[in-house]
Amino acid sequence: MVVFLGLPLAIYLVFVISPFVQAMYYSLTSWSGFNDKMPFVGFDNYVKLFHDDIFMLSVRNSIILAIFLPVITVILSLVLATLVTIGGSSRGQIKGLKGSGFYRIVSFFPYVIPAVVIGIIWAQIYDPSSGLLNGILTGIGFDGLKSYPWLGDPRTAMIASMVVIVWGFVGFYMILFIAAIKGIPAETFEAARIDGAGRFRTATTITIPLIRDNIQTAYVYMGILALDAFVYMSVLNSTGGPANSTLVMSQKLFTTAFSKSQFGLACAMGVVLAAITLIFSALVFLVNRITGGKQDVSE
Amino acid sequence: MSIQNKQLQRRGFLRGALATAVLLPLGGALASCAGGGGGGAATTAAGGAVSATNPFGVAATGALDAVIFKGGYGIDYVDFAGAILKKNYPGIDVKISPSTDIAQEMQPRFVGGTPPDLIDNSGAKSIGFSTILDQLEDLKSVTEANNLEGTKIADTLYGGVLAPGTFNGKVAAINYVLTVYALWYSKSLFDANGWKVPTTWDEALALGAAAKAKGKYLFLWGKEAATYYQTMAIESAIKEGGDEVRLALENLKPGCWSLPAMQSVFGALEKIIKAGYIKPGGSGTQFTAAQAQWSNNQDALLYPSGSWIENEMKDQTKADFKMTGTPVPVVSASPKIPQTGIRSAAGEPFIVPSKGKNVAAGKELLRIMLSKDSAVNFAKTKLAPTVVKGTVPADGFGSTALVSQTTMLDNAKTNIFTWNFVDLYGMNPDQLVPWNSFLDGKLDAAGLTKALQDITDKVANDSSVTKIEVK
Repeated sequence: MVVFLGLPLAIYLVFVISPFVQAMYYSLTSWSGFNDKMPFVGFDNYVKLFHDDIFMLSVRNSIILAIFLPVITVILSLVLATLVTIGGSSRGQIKGLKGSGFYRIVSFFPYVIPAVVIGIIWAQIYDPSSGLLNGILTGIGFDGLKSYPWLGDPRTAMIASMVVIVWGFVGFYMILFIAAIKGIPAETFEAARIDGAGRFRTATTITIPLIRDNIQTAYVYMGILALDAFVYMSVLNSTGGPANSTLVMSQKLFTTAFSKSQFGLACAMGVVLAAITLIFSALVFLVNRITGGKQDVSE
Repeated sequence: MSIQNKQLQRRGFLRGALATAVLLPLGGALASCAGGGGGGAATTAAGGAVSATNPFGVAATGALDAVIFKGGYGIDYVDFAGAILKKNYPGIDVKISPSTDIAQEMQPRFVGGTPPDLIDNSGAKSIGFSTILDQLEDLKSVTEANNLEGTKIADTLYGGVLAPGTFNGKVAAINYVLTVYALWYSKSLFDANGWKVPTTWDEALALGAAAKAKGKYLFLWGKEAATYYQTMAIESAIKEGGDEVRLALENLKPGCWSLPAMQSVFGALEKIIKAGYIKPGGSGTQFTAAQAQWSNNQDALLYPSGSWIENEMKDQTKADFKMTGTPVPVVSASPKIPQTGIRSAAGEPFIVPSKGKNVAAGKELLRIMLSKDSAVNFAKTKLAPTVVKGTVPADGFGSTALVSQTTMLDNAKTNIFTWNFVDLYGMNPDQLVPWNSFLDGKLDAAGLTKALQDITDKVANDSSVTKIEVK
């Protein structure tokens, strides 16, 4: 009892819970981070944060990411997963498109590459003067895009960054959904087909309701990743992008702590980020419940 | 019944998975802020006897722990000095470790009261001086000591090089490498086209037209280095308006970016941008890639930078480029400080934390570095001068850039100045944003002024930031 429950609990308390509590306490101080003086300032840091236009901008950017990234990634990987599992010929056994094994492997490749490397590769692709993207676009006649800075223009920087993150994760979630779809008995699909359901109808009324829990999990995971997004954003635009259009909360937290030596303020940002993450997860659960997740067949 | 039970289990499992998913980033967001407890009492090594050859009383045995920023200059120059120390004190265990992220790696050691004996607090992730000032040794004891050759160190240094490391009268850091900020160009390219190096912004504009005729640009920039143009603008404005401009900026005065001298420089830059003499796309280009477009492709004629540029672009510079520096242009024909004036600041600040285990050995290593052998070794291997005078021969070890640095320093005479406020208050990341927009043509001079003033005011009005008054 002591070893199996007590020890993990103790480790959890020391390494997970106590840093949380500590960080929350630091967020109420004006600790600089490089000495042991921690003057207590109450909620001053939070007041300062909500009056800081650049921090609020980073909150906005993080929320934009949390709204769009999960939707795009989950829908895209669902479509791909459906295609390679049940999207094949409508005769004979239920199967995916021809060569689906190959697509599966290829689309998983990006997930194998470390995030930093993905960022560097794409920064080169987006390079205004010698990048692949502008090379192709000018090659097919879009001369106006010669030396267009995809990551340097506030209108496109965020979208260009999102494309990179989606590209990196679609393969992983596709594999996740494929596994879930494989768990559905083939008879269910066959019965639907005999009843005259097409591929789209099968996907929306059979597949999605049956793997609802997996989708919810994927959605929450992706949303949390989007709220962090530190690695991608700092490799693509280490300084927050043009007009701070790609600055996310985690980046702002990092510079506040380590280049401005305001650890108290940075801890307050961490607490705000944690609160937003919790609210996001709660929202996803709530939406799932309201849209009928409770009475679903999978329950 | 049995089927339902099974499904409930699966549901429970998914809940568990979700709970973990929620907790993971929480850990990341919050745990990253964890700090240590209070600092324990430092256990200083027992000192040795102070003598003429051992001015800091280094003990015969013990350890020396130095952490050196590993950037463009590497750490082998400190290893060189470390070997000399090891020869003089065989009983000392010399450990010199590299770091690319000084602030993050040293933060727990400062809080815990166990900092190393010598740190090169440099790089983009260095520690802001205002936060650790009271934990550092006053290095006047080093500059007042004699070097290995027996000359007082203070007498061997270039003028004004201790200023960047002196805060409120305390020499908290000795900056080791002399950096000259200038406008760099290819002498061979200028000679081949008969171009003249601009000394005023009007000449620069005319040169831009000449460059355009050859299908080239006047300037180019990279997104992480957009503030090199801020450095150039401030330098030009200080020359135009004199010391009062420098003091207004250093002390974060309200309206410091709207001073007439500053505005005239911004206006001149705006004219160059509007005329299309700056290579577009810089805000999306990685800065070393942009610099290679200048030093290798020769897409643009001029690039404002510090003298590290030669070493940084060594492998990506066109053969026979003949990289040469020139003082940045001024607005009018009669500036308050002559056009030959330059910003020169010593970089690579070496600090000795008071709570280090072997403070004396940390100072001794610094003393060795400031002595002749180490300083000459640095100039020779890095093609950059140290703060120690007379280490660069007339041929500059074959480097045109090094020769031009010495020339600029000589021509500037006493008109050598610098400023610290950007690094001191960590404003560079914020300032990069408006500068990228300005160089891109998306922001005009008025917009740039407002953005920079907002950044400065925010620091000035933040009571939790320790201000250092500059006189």
